[in-house]
Amino acid sequence: MTELQYIGKPARRVDALEKVMGKAKYIADRKLPGMLHARCLRSEAPHALIKKLDVTPALAVPGVRAVITSEDFFEHSLFGFPVKDEYVLAYRKVRYVGEAIAAVAADTPEAALAGVQAIVCELEPLPGVFDMEHALDPDAAQVGPDRPDDQHPNFLDLLIVRQADPLAEIEQCAVKLDERYSVGPQEHAYIEPEGALAVPTREGGVLVYAPNQSPFVNYGVLAMVLDLPHNLVRVIQPPVGGSFGGKDDQIYQMSAQVAKLALLTGKPVRLVYSREESLISSYKRDPMHIRIRLGADSDGTLRAVKFEGLMDSGAYASESTFTAWRGSIHAMGAYRYNACAVDIKCVYTNNGYYGAFRGFGNTEVCAGIEQAIDELACAVGMDPLDFRLKNCLHVGDRTAHGQILTESVGLPDCIKTVRRLSDWDRKRAAYANQTGNIRRGIGVAALYHGTSLGAEGADYAGSTIAVEQNYSIDLTSGLTDYGTGSRTVFTLIAAEELGVSPDRIHMQRPDTDTAIESGPTVASRSTMLGGNAARVAADNLRQTLDYAAADLLGCELHQLVRSGEAYVGPDEEPVAWERVVDHAREMGLALSAHGKWTAPRIEWDHHHGTGTPYMAYHFASQVAEVEVDMRTGVVQVVNFWAVHDPGKVIFPQGAYGQVYGGVAQGLGYALMEQITYTNGYLQETNFESYLIPTSVDVPEITAQFVEAPFSKGPYGAKNIAEPSMVPAAPAILNAIYHATGKRVRDLPANLERVLLGHDLAKGGSAKACKLGLKT
Amino acid sequence: MKPQLITLHINGRTHALAAAPNATLLETLRDLGYVDVKSGCEKGDCGACAVLLNGEAVNSCMVLAGQADEATIVTATGLGTVTNPHPLQQAFADHGAIQCGYCTPGFVIAAKALLDTNPHPTELEIREAISGNLCRCTGYGQIVEAIQAAAEQMVPAEGGAR
Repeated sequence: MTELQYIGKPARRVDALEKVMGKAKYIADRKLPGMLHARCLRSEAPHALIKKLDVTPALAVPGVRAVITSEDFFEHSLFGFPVKDEYVLAYRKVRYVGEAIAAVAADTPEAALAGVQAIVCELEPLPGVFDMEHALDPDAAQVGPDRPDDQHPNFLDLLIVRQADPLAEIEQCAVKLDERYSVGPQEHAYIEPEGALAVPTREGGVLVYAPNQSPFVNYGVLAMVLDLPHNLVRVIQPPVGGSFGGKDDQIYQMSAQVAKLALLTGKPVRLVYSREESLISSYKRDPMHIRIRLGADSDGTLRAVKFEGLMDSGAYASESTFTAWRGSIHAMGAYRYNACAVDIKCVYTNNGYYGAFRGFGNTEVCAGIEQAIDELACAVGMDPLDFRLKNCLHVGDRTAHGQILTESVGLPDCIKTVRRLSDWDRKRAAYANQTGNIRRGIGVAALYHGTSLGAEGADYAGSTIAVEQNYSIDLTSGLTDYGTGSRTVFTLIAAEELGVSPDRIHMQRPDTDTAIESGPTVASRSTMLGGNAARVAADNLRQTLDYAAADLLGCELHQLVRSGEAYVGPDEEPVAWERVVDHAREMGLALSAHGKWTAPRIEWDHHHGTGTPYMAYHFASQVAEVEVDMRTGVVQVVNFWAVHDPGKVIFPQGAYGQVYGGVAQGLGYALMEQITYTNGYLQETNFESYLIPTSVDVPEITAQFVEAPFSKGPYGAKNIAEPSMVPAAPAILNAIYHATGKRVRDLPANLERVLLGHDLAKGGSAKACKLGLKT
Repeated sequence: MKPQLITLHINGRTHALAAAPNATLLETLRDLGYVDVKSGCEKGDCGACAVLLNGEAVNSCMVLAGQADEATIVTATGLGTVTNPHPLQQAFADHGAIQCGYCTPGFVIAAKALLDTNPHPTELEIREAISGNLCRCTGYGQIVEAIQAAAEQMVPAEGGAR
């Protein structure tokens, strides 16, 4: 392979200066002449029938221009994928506190609030389901939709993996483990609250600016609920102030609300959430109760696993069936087994609702299995890092799903590297027998994480590329960059492929009118899917330019070489890239191209729990070093090492940034981020009660990459965004155990759990939610 | 409630305006078009709305516009231009201290306030100075690096007076 010029080399984010100068215009920064302000009436009850909904008094409020309910949409605004159970505005029932019931557009935010307050809405309370363990009791209130089968309506899905009979295998094992773990909900806590802005078009359609993860999904939902032909809907992506899985369904609902209001009033309409509205109404990471049984031989050979998970989906399915599937695939961890069974069941409750969040099921199950593996290693009497190294997946191994890993398995190298970087063996011994008030501990976790959608669905992406009159290059992708750096990744790939400076390339934000539909921007799939699409598009354009260069230089294609951007023919005189462009135009060649890439087809058998779930996996191992104050339960993470195999690294600065940020989110998940629903009412409604890590909570993080290339990834790249956060929490939990000798099996490991080993009873009320919905 | 006539000196420009007594400085600045001042929590917990008020970093959501009458205010756009960015802004861009970018203007302001009073901060001093600013993307390391790099660049290496 020729020396790479831009891939893997130092580069700066394409949007860095725009953002740091304060020039980037996020949704709340966009104001149009005559723009109206929207506001939603939201449910103050966790579960209730809408007995009466009269919006006419709101229309009489000065400044109010329009009010909408579910009656204003096609099929009462029913949407959702893969389970269609959610409404843009509630229809007949509300199922969680904060659910939108009606939306008002008015001249000012104050008039919109007055309009909301004038709506007559009578809710008849229904019994709620607040404990997922009792969601399927025969007498539990019905939260989920009616079912065609004889299952309880609160049953959403069951995801399984099956290989042989693990309980029989465990029975024969010398060392056994049977433990329960739990993880709580987590809020995305992007610093930019959600928003959407709709503009009516002259053709009778609507243009929506929305900081959504997946503009083409939004586009599809809008056309459906507004009952508009697709050509009358357009979605444009402004800069997004963080998403992490969070700006999905919620933004589609908001987009549909402002779009309908814009169509009715003929004016631009914007809706922007307060932090309270964001926390109360948006979905969170799902909580899970976990039971794990493991068996190993006395020499530390891992033999069998049985994993049972119960996952709360809350009031709506959102992405939960996909989350639970990804969770089930990764529930056993990155190890070899003779036998494996995974069962993850998800149920409906009235505890808000749960959806996509970085790691998408793997973050939840990894917290369980990586603690269980640690406990089993301890029971065997082995160092937990040695135990992982002995049992982890290598090239050629068969996974618990029956998939043979033929390439790109960097896990053993990750574990060995993190051992060396963290000075593991010395510290592990040094911290073994401490007695003081302040104790240190060091813990490890390993990870694998399937790339892209896998067997979840059709996996493709598209890009367009064109040379402009000023010799700059316009590049598009149907996938968004909500802070991840994917626009820079696509730019570097296109520059490498074309042999031009990245400075020439203008990587656009998606616009559904000009970009190619590429599926959702989820599952850390941008680098591989979007990157391959950009690579193919640039390669298609390069072929055209190569023909022009050969014609200009009077030679054969194979005689062309490049010197920087310039083309060189047999007479060794370099010809500037611009001259080749001019010549191509004179030849009548079109200097624009499309690129599409589809992932290889893979199959998963949901009924038998076997197959090939993903085409490739990211591997990693992380080590945390903590200091625990035995008098207060305060845990400070003092050092952290993260070694990842994302395949070839395209944009190193961005990849490191993903690791650092992911670890910080994992640290919050492990120690402090707590979401509490008391009878369906959220207790943490702003950052004074929902605590996320600050600069003094996150230590210096040492990251390193083991680049095991994947043959189908662009330049060998796989993925990085989600996997960076997944193993952080169990590494920290394992370090706490090493420091204190006591296991905290419930996340987050807050002060009470670390100090006392249990929670303190805390009162909760409806107050914070009710106040939050009025501010 | 009667609006109050106030004067604000923002990024070198003087604005005379009538502000409602309950209007926050954050709302007022954004209404005037200084939308680089971001709203994140409106409770003083995230630092996205930080501005320099008479040289001191404040959360503008926690200041009433009336309290800022006659004050000199600097926002992130007031520190530099795209062609001539402030050394802190250049360092943030160079060191990967920006991901989604929403918290970035607030961090730059907090860092500016720190370096104005402490041109040679230690890593811990930097971390403490920005601990009132929340970032959900970066894990803070590259932000700390950027501030260190800017500090080194802004102060003459040997015995330079401030």
